[in-house]
Amino acid sequence: MLIADDRAVLTQVTGGDGSSRIKKFTFDKSVLGLLPFLLFLGYFLLYPIAAIVSASLHNNEHHLTLSLYGNLFSGNYRDAFIGSFKLAFYSMIVAGIAGALICWAVVKTSGVIRTITSSAAGVLANTGGVPLAFMFIAAFGQEGLITKFLLKVFHWDLYAGSFDLYNFWGILLVYCFFQIPLMVIIFTPALENLKIEWVEANESLGGSKLQYFRHVLIPVLLPSYLSACLLLFASAFSAFATAAAMSNGTIPLVPLLIGNLVNGNVIPSEANQGDALAMGMVLVSLVVIAAYLGLLRVTRKR
Amino acid sequence: MRKQFVFGVVAAIAVALLPAVSAAPSFADDSAFATCTDLASCGGMSALVKAAQAEGTLNITTVLRNWADYGDAVDAFQAAFGIHINDDNPDGGSSYEINSIKTAPAASQPDVIDFGASHVAEAAGAACPTDFTQCSASIFANYKVATWNDIPAAWKNVNGNWFGNYQGQIVIGYDAKLKKAPTKISDLKNPAYKKVVGIAGDPTGAQEALISVMAATVANGGTFDNVQKGVDFYHSLKTSGNLSGATADSTHIATGNPKVWLDYSFNALGTEQLGAQIGKTFKYVKPADAAVMGTPYLFAVNATAPHPAAARLWVEYLMSENKGHLAKDLAGDEAANVKAGTLDGAKLFNSLMGGQNIFQLGGAVPIEIAAMTKKKLLVASPSTIFVPSAGDKLTPTQPSVAQQATAIALLKTEWPKI
Repeated sequence: MLIADDRAVLTQVTGGDGSSRIKKFTFDKSVLGLLPFLLFLGYFLLYPIAAIVSASLHNNEHHLTLSLYGNLFSGNYRDAFIGSFKLAFYSMIVAGIAGALICWAVVKTSGVIRTITSSAAGVLANTGGVPLAFMFIAAFGQEGLITKFLLKVFHWDLYAGSFDLYNFWGILLVYCFFQIPLMVIIFTPALENLKIEWVEANESLGGSKLQYFRHVLIPVLLPSYLSACLLLFASAFSAFATAAAMSNGTIPLVPLLIGNLVNGNVIPSEANQGDALAMGMVLVSLVVIAAYLGLLRVTRKR
Repeated sequence: MRKQFVFGVVAAIAVALLPAVSAAPSFADDSAFATCTDLASCGGMSALVKAAQAEGTLNITTVLRNWADYGDAVDAFQAAFGIHINDDNPDGGSSYEINSIKTAPAASQPDVIDFGASHVAEAAGAACPTDFTQCSASIFANYKVATWNDIPAAWKNVNGNWFGNYQGQIVIGYDAKLKKAPTKISDLKNPAYKKVVGIAGDPTGAQEALISVMAATVANGGTFDNVQKGVDFYHSLKTSGNLSGATADSTHIATGNPKVWLDYSFNALGTEQLGAQIGKTFKYVKPADAAVMGTPYLFAVNATAPHPAAARLWVEYLMSENKGHLAKDLAGDEAANVKAGTLDGAKLFNSLMGGQNIFQLGGAVPIEIAAMTKKKLLVASPSTIFVPSAGDKLTPTQPSVAQQATAIALLKTEWPKI
């Protein structure tokens, strides 16, 4: 998208006479290089989306209808959207704060520790799904290693109180495990781009640390921070496998409902409703991505 | 693959051009097996075995090895007939199975599906008539197995479009380390079971969880027509803190949570075996306060099955009532002998333990159980699966598909709130 923008600017600059107009229609050979990617995108993203849009607009009698979308605003479907939103939002807040602190620590360090931290973040951010759920169950489950260790060594029964992995807060805890490293990956570059000259300029002009924070750091970092948070939101909003491994339908989440409708053993003939739910998620994601791109543009302009 | 496809197209055209007057179909080509509707019209068991062997492969889907002892059936079938079985997506559900018949490429479609009774209308693509046994789907081939008359009339399509195969009874599973073993569903309220009572999934997504709620309903004095009492029961488990969020599947059970749960009887054996492997003891008992059996699972043969003869042999095999051999008791060269012509396919078929008895061994209730008991063909299910209890003497009751639909409608709104 940015490349396209740049080119538009270029044509405006070099354009002005008739010859450049013709140039606009010449075939750009670099597109050929992109062709495999575009085909891939078309077949694995655009085609399925088109199929889902079509299915979500038809009822079981193959009549065109918007009623499946109407259902999203009531009953358990609405509750599921609220549940997914809550989970995504809370994990965004936790990971947004904890991740930023780690980023700050990472840029302050150097050498081996820094390399280890950033590569670890890269690995952990991509740990998800059922394996992640079972890592936590093996560690903090009722017969988990850490649970047993705490009980044996410190005589502290993790499960004596209200702690449980298998509820909303348990899932939130597990989500943070991949959300925080994700934040580290996407937010560290922004911190790395801070120039030491800015601190020096602030000091030589007699600015205090607080002033540096308020007038330099926040305006510079806020757009990239917010866009990083939006990415966290989108990542948690769409996660499925981890939640599926850790709940039995008492925690309302949209991806789990879609799973029941499309691949369940109980509810027949409502796959179209699942498609409408999926489109609901796509729309939420589009809003988030649009906001993300908007913020990204603000960041790039600086 | 491509060759097969071309052959399939040619065969399809050939069938379309065949004059309807040819009374005796020729079994020289495979296409006749796509349309034959029972063993006689397929040319008999020996011919069916031969044709299935020529196809060489059978596609099934969503079959777990330790679900109703399916693993033993798969092994014996593969070993005896020399037919390779492809099992696509073992963890899938009924909707997935029906969708793969409707949308998968011809060669990779399942030949036979084993699906939930509430999904017949979905397969048909329209609402079912009031008489459920009249409901039929054009994506299925009509085929009546040799044991057709032994299937209860309520659970088979009048034309052989689909038919019941086995069902599960709701039983209580528990970790033998618990100080007090449960014997009835109301025991799940025991304060000692804090955070460890499980359900086998989301009742709007997993059949065994749905029937668990029905069993809880019956245990609390309710009927299949309104499962509110079952919902209330689980709600009380949640308020008391007993209900765990962990799904009662063998993986979670192995991790130590849940420790008490309800599940279908045919999942018991697999979980007990898993326990033995990891040094834990899991036990199962039939509850004394509710004997509830789920609606049966159904077989249907794909109308456009890529291996039509193997498909029909597979359902004949799984619906067979024979006592006989499993894979480990085979001499080892039966498949080759049939191919060489030194062993009759029908004779081999009759020497094998039928699927109905394999399901029985796996703790399921075979659909032909009444007829098999009468004929003394039923093998004893291993006495080690279930702890003897008062629940053994109860006669299980079973919801209808309509009652199940009513329950689902209620659970869709009520379950997320419990």
